Amino acid sequence: MTQPNRLPSGLTDRSRMLNFTWNGRALQGHPGDTLAAALLANGERFVARSFKYHRPRGVFSAGPEEPSALVQLRNGAAQEPNTRATVAELFDGLVATSQNHRGSLEGDLLALNDWLAPFLSAGFYYKTFMWPKRFWETVYEPFIRASAGLGRLSMEPDPDHYDHGYLHCDLLVIGAGPAGLTAALEAGRAGARVILADEDFLPGGRLNAETHEVGGMAGSGWAAQAVAELAAMDNVRLMTRTTVYGAFDHGIYGALERATDHLAGSGGKPRQVLWRLYTRRALLTAGATERSVAFRNNDRPGVMLAGAVRTYVNRFGVAPGQRVAVLTNNDDGWRTATDLQAAGIHVSALIDTRAGTPDIPGLRIETNAAVRRTRGRRGIGQITLTNGAVIDADCLAVAGGWSPNLHLTCHQRGRPEWRDDLAAFVPGRDLPPGMSVAGAANGALTLHAAMKEAQEKTVTLLQEMGFEPTGAVLPKASDEPASITPFWHVKGKGRAWVDLQNDVTAKDIYQSQREAFRSVELLKRYTTLGMATDQGKTANVLGLAILAEAAGQPIPDTGTTIFRPPYTPVPIGAFAGRARGKDFRPVRLTPSHKWAQEQGATFVETGMWMRAQWFARPGEKGWRDSVDREVQMTRKSVGICDVTTLGKIDIQGRDAAEFLNRVYANGFAKLPVGKVRYGIMLREDGICYDDGTTARLTETHFVMTTTTANAVVVFRNLEFARQCLWPDLDVHLISTTDGWAQFAVAGPNSRALLSKVVDDLDLSNEAFPFMACSECTVFGGTPARLFRISFSGELAYEIAVPARFGDSMIRALMEVGREFDAVPYGTEALGVMRIEKGHFAGNELTGQTTAAMLGIGMMVSSKKDSIGATLSRREEMSRDDDLRLVGFHPVDKSSELNAGAHFLTRGDPADMAHDQGWMTSVAWSPELGHSIGMGFLKRGKERMGETVRAYDPVRGKDTLVTVTSAHHIDPEGARQRG
Amino acid sequence: MADIRLSAAPVLGADIAIGDNRIVERDDLALVSVATPQGGDDAIAAALQSGFGLPVPGPVQSSGQGDMRAVRTTADQMMLIFPHATPDAEPHVRQALSGAGYTTDQTDVWMVLEISGPDTLAALERLCPLDVAGFADGAAARTVMEHMGALILRLGPDRFWLMSASSSAGSFCHAVELSYRNVA
Repeated sequence: MTQPNRLPSGLTDRSRMLNFTWNGRALQGHPGDTLAAALLANGERFVARSFKYHRPRGVFSAGPEEPSALVQLRNGAAQEPNTRATVAELFDGLVATSQNHRGSLEGDLLALNDWLAPFLSAGFYYKTFMWPKRFWETVYEPFIRASAGLGRLSMEPDPDHYDHGYLHCDLLVIGAGPAGLTAALEAGRAGARVILADEDFLPGGRLNAETHEVGGMAGSGWAAQAVAELAAMDNVRLMTRTTVYGAFDHGIYGALERATDHLAGSGGKPRQVLWRLYTRRALLTAGATERSVAFRNNDRPGVMLAGAVRTYVNRFGVAPGQRVAVLTNNDDGWRTATDLQAAGIHVSALIDTRAGTPDIPGLRIETNAAVRRTRGRRGIGQITLTNGAVIDADCLAVAGGWSPNLHLTCHQRGRPEWRDDLAAFVPGRDLPPGMSVAGAANGALTLHAAMKEAQEKTVTLLQEMGFEPTGAVLPKASDEPASITPFWHVKGKGRAWVDLQNDVTAKDIYQSQREAFRSVELLKRYTTLGMATDQGKTANVLGLAILAEAAGQPIPDTGTTIFRPPYTPVPIGAFAGRARGKDFRPVRLTPSHKWAQEQGATFVETGMWMRAQWFARPGEKGWRDSVDREVQMTRKSVGICDVTTLGKIDIQGRDAAEFLNRVYANGFAKLPVGKVRYGIMLREDGICYDDGTTARLTETHFVMTTTTANAVVVFRNLEFARQCLWPDLDVHLISTTDGWAQFAVAGPNSRALLSKVVDDLDLSNEAFPFMACSECTVFGGTPARLFRISFSGELAYEIAVPARFGDSMIRALMEVGREFDAVPYGTEALGVMRIEKGHFAGNELTGQTTAAMLGIGMMVSSKKDSIGATLSRREEMSRDDDLRLVGFHPVDKSSELNAGAHFLTRGDPADMAHDQGWMTSVAWSPELGHSIGMGFLKRGKERMGETVRAYDPVRGKDTLVTVTSAHHIDPEGARQRG
Repeated sequence: MADIRLSAAPVLGADIAIGDNRIVERDDLALVSVATPQGGDDAIAAALQSGFGLPVPGPVQSSGQGDMRAVRTTADQMMLIFPHATPDAEPHVRQALSGAGYTTDQTDVWMVLEISGPDTLAALERLCPLDVAGFADGAAARTVMEHMGALILRLGPDRFWLMSASSSAGSFCHAVELSYRNVA
């Protein structure tokens, strides 16, 4: 129950206890702790197994850069693997477990890998799993997959919700450390709209982790005061627990807000929100990340970054050890030692790789020395120095220097530059447009310098945006000593760890260099240095330095690694946001949808639309029964189908007729008012991409119908033509697809039915012939449009009413139709009837189909120019021996056809060289009593009556079919004109 | 002639309360688009003024007179939105403008949701990519919300019209409601 390493100091709330479990054991912490802090407070040093060698690992850092302390949080469906304990906020009831071990954490069976390490060095996979080839998929891959990975997924659906959002600001400040707070205060006071985002739950950055003073008070106190002032400004939005993970085009940044991850439950709210931030300017004040030094067994639990040691002591009030040694190549090490002493923690020794360290009272100091190795497998107990000294220590704080957090400056291919005085890369000159960098992220590694640079850059940005800076005086802060003499690697026997997350050693890097993988990009792929969740935040620069050492050349000549988004891992669920399940995409419903549901319709998705596919009736054994009945009843009497989904485009203007004449391949200029014409549209390359009808309501007013699938494409193409090709034409477009509930009424009794529906309109063949149209009213005054068009081959109409009347209209049509035994029919019956009639549709318009192939080459008018007409006349597109659309029926009429079957001339071998075309659409024809089909056949028009093979290797079928006209019924069109 | 009369139905009939916020379908409104013929800008302006007392709205703006609003939708097109019960809004506008513009009835193409309440701006942050917090009253813009084309118009500090296609109105209204529920 006690927390043996808890100190009386720190910023956590000691008045409250939080209970959590670690590998099933009940432990306690305080509000303000991370899981890592609470584990250390409870004396848990050994918390993880490494990725490859399953070596014991402990908490290494105190931030998002953590390579080692990866754990699983929560349980059941909410279990989340590979979470960094150093950023996981402690809450009451948290369940946390270690991962990547078989058996217990302490007795991991796969720790065997560590003993096999000599055989598992870099490139091991590539060299080992080469032969025999048949083992690739059967042995090696399953073995590697079983061994790979860290945590385990729950294999259950994610129980949480996620959301997306959009925010706008003048200035985005990324990181709320001393520089970020300074910048946000300056910009906020000047009246700019500011977003200040920080990944931590406590703003302040290093101010909360160090013992610096700002403005005469503790740094953490100044940070709290600054946050309070910012929180009171309406124009400032302070976003904690929010990681800006990517810099995208046009000043857009991606940010992940962990909205409820710090709570036991989300309360039904989104767990995380993925924000898109639209910014005029951005200031990156993301601070810096400390790095380690490579020496033998520098990965053991208890070896930590020195800055992290200070964070645990000063912020969390946790002693990372009872006897702490410090290894440093810069002045940070001294501060670590004095902070530890101030907290009453025994410092075993300060080991400085440099000469001339000042005396610190009561401290053993070793200069010109480094650590050669550590001892203590499950946590260090002793270190051996390069000078031979052996020192007892249960924690080793390593200060290897700081690397500015310049990740976001690279997201648009910016390349960092090396600064010798810092022994670090700093942001280069090619920053994403609108971005500036200040503070430690820009190499201003000391407190006053960071705040001063942040203020100066903010003033510049405010002036660029037209704001008047307030000219506030910076609070007093000092610049701490920060001199560094680079020291990277203690050479010698054993393994010196560079990338703790991927178990990459200095030896691996030397080997990579030896085996000619010398580019830093190749090094990464060959050794996995810098991969996985931490993306090498602590390892990249150290790895590069050792590569440079191996190559015997300076670091900047060796290369730089740049970074891609995301800065830290973003759950896939957050990217998906709400788009899951039925919310994956919008659903469009026709006005008769509710009625169709009541009728027991089965629906099919056509694009985003839900369309009735068929209407099953009691006693029908399958869909074919329903479809056959719908077809037969329609052809016998009358059927009604909701065709609202067809695209409708209102086209008006003085030049509307001329416009249509240019976008349709066939002539439209002389279409009389009150008439409908069928038209085909070509792409610019001459391929036929859509067909439909256009009705002329007045001299200047047309209504175009497109296919359901191409409604948006056609509208977009028309709008492009109107705005860009012919801006001189007076023509105006607006979609009315959703505005009209439109129903096809087809069958010999359609006229009789509609005569009882339409007010005061003579529907006789003479007064309202095939392809007539008219505005009218129905059922005593409701406005409507009537078109006499047919897709079924029957006498047919399409009647449209404003969509608000759609539900009422279908009920009324069915009521009136009762005396004719009218049936509703769905898309399947519609498809059967169009195949019987020989109308082509989406199956035939494949994007490779010419008008000639469809048998309507004559429709492409040569008397005018239209989009695609010229290129449609290319020789290869109008060959007589090319594919032609024809019909088919099986020789044995009891057999069924399959769409997709390829045609072969009888006696030819079944290979691509002898391919004669393919079957595009098939149906069972209730009218004819056998299967029919249509398809493209080479020289098809000349082969009427020929028997060919319909060869279907996918289904293992080989059927003899007779070539016929595509128009299986009523080829003369007597019915639709009657 | 059968003795049947058709009845109009709202798209959804939505009236949803989430805390002190409300989402209400305004099925009393008619929408008529008016396109400006080439060279007809002055004639449109005059007709709009004489017919409805409305100035032509500027880009990303609307103009209002009484309970009639004109919303600019693109360079040569605006949408007139006004309470009108019967399905003859388009001839009504056409006559009032004396044929100065090309009119199309858009009432049934759209669903208009009036959203209001203290969490409205927060909800819109989850839904609308535009900087609506910076919209003055009467500002209006075409945009996309949850993959659906939309028109947004600010009526007051926490009151907006959101318009989207009537066929996908169920998905749209759900998205709006979820946005409120996620923040309220």
